[in-house]
Amino acid sequence: MNNEIVDLHLNDPQVRKTWEDFLTSLGITDFQSQETAAIDFTLGIYEGDRLVATGSAAGNILKYIGVCNKGVDQGSRFNTIVSALISRLFQQQIFHLFVFTKLKYSDSFQHVGFHELAHSDVAALLETGDSSIDDYLDAIPRVADQTNKRVAGIVMNANPFTQGHRYLVERAASENDVVYVFVVNTDASLFNTAERFELVKQGTADLKNVIVVNGGDYMVSYATFPAYFLPTPDQQVDYQTTLDARIFRDRIAPALNIKTRYLGTEPLSRTTGIYNQVLQRELPPQVAVKIVDRKTTTDGTIVTATAVRKAIADDQLDSLAALLPPSTINFINQHLESLQFRIKKGMNINGN
Amino acid sequence: MEIKQTALAGTLESSDIQIMLSKGTDGITIDLESDVEKQFGDQIRKVITDTLAEFDIDNVKVKAVDKGALDCVIKARTIAVAQRALQTQNQPAWEAF
Amino acid sequence: MAETEERLRRTMMFVPGNNPAMVKDAGIYGADSIMFDLEDAVSMAEKDTARALVYEALKSQDYGNAELVVRINGDDTPYYHNDIKAMVKAGIDVIRLPKTETAEMIKTLEADVLAAEKEFGREEGSTHLMAAIESAKGVLNAPAIAAASDRMIGIALSAEDYTTDMKTHRYPDGAELEFARNMVLHAARAAGIAAFDTVFTNMDDTEGFYRETRYIHQLGFDGKSLVNPRQIAMVNEVYQPTAKEIANAKNVINAIEEARIKGSGVISMNGQMVDRPVVLRAQRVMRLAKASHLVDEEGNTIEK
Repeated sequence: MNNEIVDLHLNDPQVRKTWEDFLTSLGITDFQSQETAAIDFTLGIYEGDRLVATGSAAGNILKYIGVCNKGVDQGSRFNTIVSALISRLFQQQIFHLFVFTKLKYSDSFQHVGFHELAHSDVAALLETGDSSIDDYLDAIPRVADQTNKRVAGIVMNANPFTQGHRYLVERAASENDVVYVFVVNTDASLFNTAERFELVKQGTADLKNVIVVNGGDYMVSYATFPAYFLPTPDQQVDYQTTLDARIFRDRIAPALNIKTRYLGTEPLSRTTGIYNQVLQRELPPQVAVKIVDRKTTTDGTIVTATAVRKAIADDQLDSLAALLPPSTINFINQHLESLQFRIKKGMNINGN
Repeated sequence: MEIKQTALAGTLESSDIQIMLSKGTDGITIDLESDVEKQFGDQIRKVITDTLAEFDIDNVKVKAVDKGALDCVIKARTIAVAQRALQTQNQPAWEAF
Repeated sequence: MAETEERLRRTMMFVPGNNPAMVKDAGIYGADSIMFDLEDAVSMAEKDTARALVYEALKSQDYGNAELVVRINGDDTPYYHNDIKAMVKAGIDVIRLPKTETAEMIKTLEADVLAAEKEFGREEGSTHLMAAIESAKGVLNAPAIAAASDRMIGIALSAEDYTTDMKTHRYPDGAELEFARNMVLHAARAAGIAAFDTVFTNMDDTEGFYRETRYIHQLGFDGKSLVNPRQIAMVNEVYQPTAKEIANAKNVINAIEEARIKGSGVISMNGQMVDRPVVLRAQRVMRLAKASHLVDEEGNTIEK
């Protein structure tokens, strides 16, 4: 019978080609491995021998949803495929789902119960499931009379927490009543989320007006946003960072009364540089942006986490003392073997 | 009664309703998306609430996406999702059927 | 045999048990029997939701005069007992057991159904049974299966699994099913229950569908299992009696009536005694003619 959901095994070259051809016919043409490698499963609907709908999931993100509506009610196959993806993810105990999509499809997803978190001119980010950004915000600690306090926010990866991060936090803490430090929740690089979060906490423990929180699903490391549905790399970076900035501006900052966002300058990373530009464009006037010059060591070296990870890889720990607070140094000394083992196993240490 | 785990039943297809239950904090709350919310929203909520009551579930977050389901479908999906959330789908509560 | 009054069972329409749109609309196509499927049409992850859906639909929807059948999951699955309980509680007319291979399976089912009738206060014996034959073993045991219980109303051939078991597949001419069809049919007739032919799934091959339906009609099957409502009118067309058959049947019915008025114990027509098979056939033709809207309730020909 028609409209039966089948698994598409993309590692079968024939299936893969059918799938790519179908999506290409719908204007989705980016099948780079960084986008497709993360796919956990792919579903499809055939009519006779013809693929007429597909959708995939990567972790808790729906991807590569494409539907041909020829000869059927508008939206019926879309609903079928999205419904099947949600059911399958729930069976896998994944209850909180996201989708990044072209702006024009935001309504379709809202029609099946998704809530939009933010959109730009070209794209939208939506969520559904058993928790929402409101639940996330409700769980963040607050201080008494927060609406009348000067509140700032910093978002950091802290991979790991360096003197540079410390310098930025100290500066914000001295200029505000409360500082939220959001640690990006991603396990894509050398230090995992739990480790990075703990090191930020330890490294700021003496600063009594600093609250360290997990960035959760809402300060996604922008580099992990799927962008396959946008044609050019420039558009991709811009859309990713715009969505990220707007979630912060429209959802997170108002809930916590954050009026200022602190950023470090990014002389060494082009994409992070673009990110900072987008933040400066998007956040004001609701949220002021303060850019703090990068901390340098006494001999003028810029402190970066990238340099720290390289030193660990190269076993050059002597150079680290100037770059890191004692808590981070202790952690690295205690876990050096396992960190170096991760690098040996192929963990990517580049990037931010 | 509290549910044991987040659960889902039903689909987004025509004449169906997709119902999700997750742990509640404030009694039974229902987030309903429906084309006929204005006309039938109260009735849909009532069928869901009445059916949850059969399972003594009184603290739960309900998220429902209605695609034109009849009352019997709403009831069937609520029964199914309640049993999944209580992990009793293999020992159905026949009195709730 | 579960009943004295034979009913028409030309069409048994399969309805996927977890599809609300199809479950809701199943009554509007005029199928003689509606078979809600909890087995093959429902994925393992949705057995519980389908069971609840069919249950609530049976309790609330009006399916007219259609005979309501549910195909439960087999006794080798964890769903079997809950399927029986739910369907007995819902008041289903007939429970269809898939992959039936022995009379013992029907006897076990009968005991399980009886226990459910007791548990839910349903009249004992009111839940009828039918068996689907889907293997070589089932075909060879068909006579015993058909006669295994007084609750049995029918036996059906299910060709997809059967042809796989026979290391073949379905062909347009149906030669691979010849033995099985005749076994199932004979088993049904010997036990006095209905015989249902298998589904025909290629919706694009209308001619092939007619050919197969005419063939099983000729063999003597009561009807055919269907996967698409469009096939109902096609089957009914094949089963429709001819004007001559109707005229003959009317003569027999008139003779019966005459005998009744006279108080005669013998029915005679054209000087010949009319025996029981002729009476039964005449009654069946008139039922078919009424169902095909060729005659009205009184047996008068409807002018088209």
